[in-house]
Amino acid sequence: MSQITYKVSRFDGEKSYTQEYSFDHQPGKTILWGLIKIKEELDPTLTFTAACRSAVCGACSVRVNGQAMLACETPLDDVIRRFGAVLTVEPLGNFTVIRDLVIDWAPKAERLADSRVWLIPKDEFSAETGCRQKAADFKKIDVQAGCILCGSCASECNKLSANNKDFLEPFTYAKVWKFVADTRDKADGERIKAILDKGLWKCLHCVECTTQCPKGLSPGDDIARLRQTSIKMGYRDNHGARHAFAFLKDIEDTGRLNEMKLSLRSDGIIGSMRKFPLALRLLRRGKLNPFHFPGKVKGHDQIKTILKAVRESEK
Amino acid sequence: MLTFDVLVIGSGGSGMRAALEAGRQEGLAVGLMTKMFPTRSATGMAQGGINGVVKNADPNDTLEKHFFDTVKGSDYLGDQDAIEYFVSQSPESILEIDYLGVPFSRDGEGRISQRNFGGQSSPRTCYSADKTGHALLHTMYEQCLKAGVKILSDWQLLDIVTENGQLQGVVALSVKDGEIVPVMAKSIVIATGGAGRMYWLRTTNPFTSTGDGMAAAFRAGIPLKDPEMIQFHPTGLASTGILMSEAVRGEGGYLLNKDGERFMKRYAPEKMELATRDVVAKAIEDEIKEGRGFGEGMNAYVVVDITHLDKNVILEKLHGIRDLAIAFERVDPLEKPIPIRPTCHYTMGGIDVIDHRTCATAVRGVFAAGEASCLSIHGANRLGGNSLADIMVFGKVAGRGASQCAREREFSGEGNLVKAAAAWQDKFQKAVARKNGSTVPSIRDRMAEIMWYNVGIFRNAADLEKASQVIDGLIAEYQDCVIGDSSKLFNTAFVNYIEVGNMLTMAKAVVMGAMHRNESRGCHLRDDYPKRDDESFLKHTIVALEGSEYKLTYRPVVVTKYQPAERRY
Repeated sequence: MSQITYKVSRFDGEKSYTQEYSFDHQPGKTILWGLIKIKEELDPTLTFTAACRSAVCGACSVRVNGQAMLACETPLDDVIRRFGAVLTVEPLGNFTVIRDLVIDWAPKAERLADSRVWLIPKDEFSAETGCRQKAADFKKIDVQAGCILCGSCASECNKLSANNKDFLEPFTYAKVWKFVADTRDKADGERIKAILDKGLWKCLHCVECTTQCPKGLSPGDDIARLRQTSIKMGYRDNHGARHAFAFLKDIEDTGRLNEMKLSLRSDGIIGSMRKFPLALRLLRRGKLNPFHFPGKVKGHDQIKTILKAVRESEK
Repeated sequence: MLTFDVLVIGSGGSGMRAALEAGRQEGLAVGLMTKMFPTRSATGMAQGGINGVVKNADPNDTLEKHFFDTVKGSDYLGDQDAIEYFVSQSPESILEIDYLGVPFSRDGEGRISQRNFGGQSSPRTCYSADKTGHALLHTMYEQCLKAGVKILSDWQLLDIVTENGQLQGVVALSVKDGEIVPVMAKSIVIATGGAGRMYWLRTTNPFTSTGDGMAAAFRAGIPLKDPEMIQFHPTGLASTGILMSEAVRGEGGYLLNKDGERFMKRYAPEKMELATRDVVAKAIEDEIKEGRGFGEGMNAYVVVDITHLDKNVILEKLHGIRDLAIAFERVDPLEKPIPIRPTCHYTMGGIDVIDHRTCATAVRGVFAAGEASCLSIHGANRLGGNSLADIMVFGKVAGRGASQCAREREFSGEGNLVKAAAAWQDKFQKAVARKNGSTVPSIRDRMAEIMWYNVGIFRNAADLEKASQVIDGLIAEYQDCVIGDSSKLFNTAFVNYIEVGNMLTMAKAVVMGAMHRNESRGCHLRDDYPKRDDESFLKHTIVALEGSEYKLTYRPVVVTKYQPAERRY
């Protein structure tokens, strides 16, 4: 029988270290089976959480070889095939670690509550009569309602890793979108307004949240939906929206981006001047030529036709 | 000292519903204590739906029909006054949680969709695809965030403390920092869920369903009612025991034996697959016993086949269970039948609630709701879809009852609380220091084994006698067992030790109830007493702790309308 090794990131409240555990491989088992085996047979001090062991409670999410996953539903055989028999097991990223693989959800819950993620029902409904919703409209929120708060998206979010002060966990945006899309809810305006100040335009589009979600949600898409809705509601005078429109205008005018114009349109003259040191560095490396005003790309007419078609389809 | 007017323990559907209700009352300090993060609860694993006569799918459905279906489903062990109240409250509870935000599947008129479920005379199970419990749990959590409920996550209940038959508060372990603290409360709601993990090897339950609240209440002098009534869900995945929703039968799935025969025709010719869970579970085990299952011994199984259903029905209404079958059984139900076998699912018995209009228990200040409680509305067999209805209806009732009690009572001193906390601190030190003895998992596994084989679906006097001896032996062994982790920081090994202790307490009561109930009723099947015996056993088992002794008595079932009759499906 072959051996598997878990190299587990451990933390006892003071020091961090890596500990290796090796045990016999058994076919058809999961990552969680291995963790339980270690705790029950090799080292009772190894600490992690798990509850439903059927991928609906979100308690056992961990990082295996740098990828967030639910330990309970991930087949060991698949992971071994992909990474080999030595696995690195770590707590989720972008969370405070309490002990070993256990992370602290309390701060995340506070941020959730700040985003008012609960239904604010329309006045036509009441607690006595319930609500009405078209079957098709239920389907629009069914996917987002599947979020199990496992934290996998937050773990791998590159924006959160860079700076979590001006951005929320991706699952929060998915939840906000769930309520904006819910036809029973009346508070779309205030939700959108609130989320604009909570990093709506800060997403880096790396789509790791979508890649990592074990329940098929796509928080990245939900962020895009929230942005579109904000523009439709008229929130155009903010950095993110201006940037998007500058992007669009460049494409429409010439078929290509002009970084300098993009900056001027998104940030204004004063805002752009703050980027002067960056511009100097780019100049020095030959990556910026202020005297270069390229003309239209070949086939620019077709681009205009495409944009026209998109606008027509959105009417 | 940490102090609440109302403290709710457990954050599943009933706990959060109770906390919301208590939080609505002006001027009460309400706390919600839970041993993990609130959305990890067993409620989230409920799939199929929630029963209530909202008459969307069948305008001819009536409260009377739901009442009778539940009484008959309970094999006449349910208290009819409680059941009648329950079914009358359920429709408004469902409309209310729609208004609170539960994303329900919808019919052509935008109303909540309803499906067929086992043992019901109308399609009255409201659902959100096949993740109804999940949808409900997360909505309750959202509402708790909205209401600003004070949530104590990662707190393990250790004991309920009383003085002169009145509540003083609880002692609990703050798992994050290892502090054992007394918490004073005027009233508490125990909503800690079931104890299905007694059957560790085969259960749908999460690792956390360890009967903590039931055992703590029992130690505090509150009896357990009908502990022997353990539901085995017919369709657990064969290799893991993970739940395949009753919706697979509700939407039209067939149960087949190895000869490809729809064997339910022999056991429930009318209802077929839509008979109640006790009837279907027994039928499956009978098929396996008579050699018509696939495989052998512990690995034997039958299959549930949904390949004949419209693909869109599966993709839209059963996508969750399809994912589970693929992930955990490596079978795609679109193409192949799913291997299944009964698995421990639900504890119908529980903390003896003596007033279904408040959820009060015998100890003043202590209330109970949900699977931890026994009202009894489920009797000897719960209908699928009645548990989510139970937790919404009685979570609210308990929250209201506890609030009312908190208004009427003063805090009743802290003497015993301080003493109990100190005793637990001492117990922690001694327990984690032990080096020689059995390990906690080894005791747990032997408990689960004897429970599965001797106190499982089929029971008899000799097996139960043996189980009783084994459980007593394990309880003795437990006193000196080794935990293996002395840290105060998030010590899950110590939590597991507490949980196994609670399960042993419960297992002893289950065995005792089963040994003395010399009849077969609902889920309680005695080989040696195959018939229901209304003359001797139309009554609730009551097990109470006197000193260190378990005492068993009986209490008559409340029969208001329906005299026991033969049960056919």
